[in-house]
Amino acid sequence: MTAAAAQRSTKAAPARKNAERVPWIDWMVLPTVGVLAVVIGYPVIYTLVLSTTKYNMLDMVPPRYIGGGNYEHLISDPIFWTSLRNTVVYTFGSVIVSSLLGLALALLTESLTGWRFRSVRALLLTPWAVPFVVVAFLFRYMYLQNGGVINAVLLDVGLIDKPVLWLNNSALALPAIMAANIWAMMPFFFLLLSAALAAIPNEVIESARIDKAGTWSMVFHIKLPFLKSALFISSLLMIISNFNDFAKIWAMTQGGPGYSTTTLVIYVYWLAFENFDFGYASAIGVVWLVLLLVFALVYLRAIRMNP
Amino acid sequence: MNTKATSVPTGVRRISAGRIVKYAAIALALFWSLAPVYWMLATSFKTELEATRIDPTPIPVEPTLANYIGLGGQSLPFFAFFFNSVISCLATAIIAVIIATPAAYSLSRARFRLRGPISYSVLLFRMLPLVVMLAPLYLLLLNARLLDSLAGLVVGFTTFGLPFAVWMMKSFIDAVPIEVEEAARIDGYPRWQILLRVVTPLILPGLLTTGTFVFMEAWNNLIYPITFMTTMDKQTLPAALVLTFTGQFKTDWGGMMAASTVTTVPLMIAFFAVQRSMVRGLTSGAVAGA
Repeated sequence: MTAAAAQRSTKAAPARKNAERVPWIDWMVLPTVGVLAVVIGYPVIYTLVLSTTKYNMLDMVPPRYIGGGNYEHLISDPIFWTSLRNTVVYTFGSVIVSSLLGLALALLTESLTGWRFRSVRALLLTPWAVPFVVVAFLFRYMYLQNGGVINAVLLDVGLIDKPVLWLNNSALALPAIMAANIWAMMPFFFLLLSAALAAIPNEVIESARIDKAGTWSMVFHIKLPFLKSALFISSLLMIISNFNDFAKIWAMTQGGPGYSTTTLVIYVYWLAFENFDFGYASAIGVVWLVLLLVFALVYLRAIRMNP
Repeated sequence: MNTKATSVPTGVRRISAGRIVKYAAIALALFWSLAPVYWMLATSFKTELEATRIDPTPIPVEPTLANYIGLGGQSLPFFAFFFNSVISCLATAIIAVIIATPAAYSLSRARFRLRGPISYSVLLFRMLPLVVMLAPLYLLLLNARLLDSLAGLVVGFTTFGLPFAVWMMKSFIDAVPIEVEEAARIDGYPRWQILLRVVTPLILPGLLTTGTFVFMEAWNNLIYPITFMTTMDKQTLPAALVLTFTGQFKTDWGGMMAASTVTTVPLMIAFFAVQRSMVRGLTSGAVAGA
């Protein structure tokens, strides 16, 4: 990775030196800036403003400024804290498990060659091409108490003695959704890590082999250090997209039973579009935005420290 | 690419317990990845009765096309849902790529002062939780009279499609050697011709990959259509699945799985069409990107 970056900067340097200034190339960025200012900049600023107001669409009165009122409410709102905890468990649990599984699979399939590798890879990538909503319904169907194939198999094998109500049990619902999420997400890690593995220079592997490195020390001392940055960046991307995951949870449990699968997305959605409490929903959105930014900054800093 | 492992002379030791465990693990992974997809397909050919049997049948006993035929039937406009999804996602992908590519080129090659802050904000925008923007965006579309229209939906999809497209196209353009452009410049070609004749063909696979990715993300999106579309006929396919099949009392799982299969097929086609260049795009974008 560092080699690639170095290569790129040496390529970019002469361009900077002898580039004649072509102003319209600078201006080509403008359409994007303009569109983003309208569809993102404006909503974000509006959210900041709304978060300081009391504004319920159903009241039919315009937003009223209440300063930090929404933020005070938030601190003493147990559902906010529950959904924050669920978000953290859901996100990090899914990402950790699926990245480890993806890593294991990338290492396992590494020795396959030619068509064998290509076909195994294509088959393992299949879940990635299943739309989130379909993942949700498919697993909901498989989790059914009566007629659900998962219960039927577990009963047959003898692991359980009566059907389990996976999605109706407040202790099991979140892990059950996470399993579906892991299923859908693992191919992403597998693909990225396979590619990163293939990019390890052959000489490194050869010289380690001459030093008689065993399989495990090869993995831990040679391959993992090479994969580290790919692993970091892909986890960051997936953590961010999991923070935002709405489709799977909404289509499987809508946040229930109780609040056991309510994440921040679900809670904000519920506040804004079932209660029409836009002010309070915006305040939670702002807090969440700040948390996410802090997380991303810390994470990127951590990567830069061990390149 | 994967010659390292095979270059070791194979001895008797290689056909060992370790090897068996390895192949068993790969087989298990294949089963884990494919079994649910198989189950969706198998169920879509089952009768309503068979789909909810206490002892599920691995292969449909009396395969039937009724579930698929039912989708074209009276009660629900499935063709309309399908059409809405394809149109809105395709429009988003095309618009995002058209707007993003010049910006990506500019951010990759030009050296103006705001380049850093702009690239950084685009990356940040990529991380924004969609739901945070939902309420203001809803009010924005309401005022622009774009609620309940495919155009409004495309505006919504653009919020995540555009930053993503800029970022991904930038990584594809970064990978084009600057020497190619310089050679053309020395030959005296004007800059716009270099862009059209030299750069564009080189980034064509990137355009296709990026467009497909935006299409997939839009296809996966549920929160915008269920919020912005109020007329049932105007829903996208995934949103319609959520809104129609979650009956309070019982769900027609055979029909549900047929509808799910139909929802999956376009995404599968798109996905496998660009699978190869996707590896490159994602690795250069995601691995070397930060």
